[in-house]
Amino acid sequence: MIPFISVLSRLAACLLFSPFLLGVIGKTKAFFAGRKGPPLLQPYYDILKLIQKGSVYSVTTTWIFRAAPLIFFATTLIASFLIPFGGLKAPVQFWGDALLFTYLFGLGRFFIILAAMDTGSSFEGMGASREAIFSCLSEIVLFLNFAALAVLSKSFSLSQMIGESWWASWTVSGPSLILVGASYFMILLVENSRIPIDDPATHLELTMIHEVMVLDHSGPDLAFILHGAAIKLFVQGSFFVTLLIPFQSHNRIIDATVFLAAMIGLAVIIGIVESVMARLRLNRIPSFITGAFVLALFGLIIAIMRVL
Amino acid sequence: MNTVWIDMALAVVVILAIGLLGTSRLGSIVRLFALQSFILAFLPFLLEGGIGIHKVVIATGTLIVKVIAIPAILFWAVRHVSIRRDTPAIFGGSASLLVGGFLIGLSFFLSSRLVLSGKPFSDLLIPSAFSTLFIGFLVIISRVKAITQVVGYLIMENGIFLFALLLFETTPLLVELGIFLDIFVGVFVMGIIINHIQNEFDHMDISQLTSLKE
Repeated sequence: MIPFISVLSRLAACLLFSPFLLGVIGKTKAFFAGRKGPPLLQPYYDILKLIQKGSVYSVTTTWIFRAAPLIFFATTLIASFLIPFGGLKAPVQFWGDALLFTYLFGLGRFFIILAAMDTGSSFEGMGASREAIFSCLSEIVLFLNFAALAVLSKSFSLSQMIGESWWASWTVSGPSLILVGASYFMILLVENSRIPIDDPATHLELTMIHEVMVLDHSGPDLAFILHGAAIKLFVQGSFFVTLLIPFQSHNRIIDATVFLAAMIGLAVIIGIVESVMARLRLNRIPSFITGAFVLALFGLIIAIMRVL
Repeated sequence: MNTVWIDMALAVVVILAIGLLGTSRLGSIVRLFALQSFILAFLPFLLEGGIGIHKVVIATGTLIVKVIAIPAILFWAVRHVSIRRDTPAIFGGSASLLVGGFLIGLSFFLSSRLVLSGKPFSDLLIPSAFSTLFIGFLVIISRVKAITQVVGYLIMENGIFLFALLLFETTPLLVELGIFLDIFVGVFVMGIIINHIQNEFDHMDISQLTSLKE
């Protein structure tokens, strides 16, 4: 019975809490701009409003266009079952689940890209090409991060990589963790199309990456994409939080509170980054990702030197 | 427990050097250098052996010269020549970052081959000293503007400072004060030279100094 409750509370956290993070980011940005900003629950209102609406489909589109939002939503939700967070153990864990974790997001993104090309719009094709190139660069860095963590934890399962035993080995793995953490945070911004990579608030098609790909989606489809993106931020963010704050008191309520507070802290940090930085020019983005690559490489070298 | 903090500080020093490699804005470059020196100034206190007069003098010297005086001169120079950005000459931002990553790998390899008389207090010290040194070199050879090259030279000096921590107990205070004076005068002179290049040619792109004119 206990695993059942744990899975349910995990699902509830993913589905219900994730749009709140977007609300916190929006509020932080509004605070920095000296505005009042949309209410914290605005993303919920948006999703509810979109679900009640009907969808419009272009006659040029095929089933791919209709399937993509569902696949994106489903893969993101499945990926959330692979990582432990907030004192909840991962229901699914096996040797090499880091690969599945990465490629579940990859599959969702692949279908969003296909759907964007399916519309036949040149704008969306442009966004799709950008998304493809940047995600394929960031994937290398993500795997370097996983490699460093795998060396440190001597395991290739996410649950062990970011599990409980970090404090004991902090003296050995501290510098490596700092570097991997910094690198992962940069990749988090790339993967979730935040500033300085992509501006989720702008509606200038020429500068957008993620937003431009979903221009043709409407109604419940758009709601799924919006909610899916929020869950993606939640899942990848909770990996970051659990990695750097491996807090475990074995009291469910305290664990959950600390975890959710840390997630809100992460959202505030992302909001601050978005407020103080400008979007990078598109041709500068590869060097941003290369910076993350070098940090991850440095972390991996230290991990190999210290542990092996 | 102290070794953890030393390791962290060393990692941050190298992260800042990498960040410097990735930025082209002159103001941020000088700021990153000042931050790096700020961390280096506090590094001696983390070493074993309590707080002595030697450490206090080195820390205040670093703070005054490298965190306040030199950045002030460089900011003055940036304002004076009224340019904001430096464009990498030989290879672009990503390429120089990748070379930086390669150099970090190389410095780990080198330090594993290096035979030291005593054991350093952290196994990260020699690699990060090498990395900082190499990245300083890289900044000097990959950038066009004279100001960035000065910062590259200063980053190299920070790398040498890390090496000097190895011999912290045995180096006389006078030698270190001499080094401070040297770099201060060096930067001062370079500031004046930059100013003169600017006055003479209306730019400070030193790659054009090699072409002959009638």
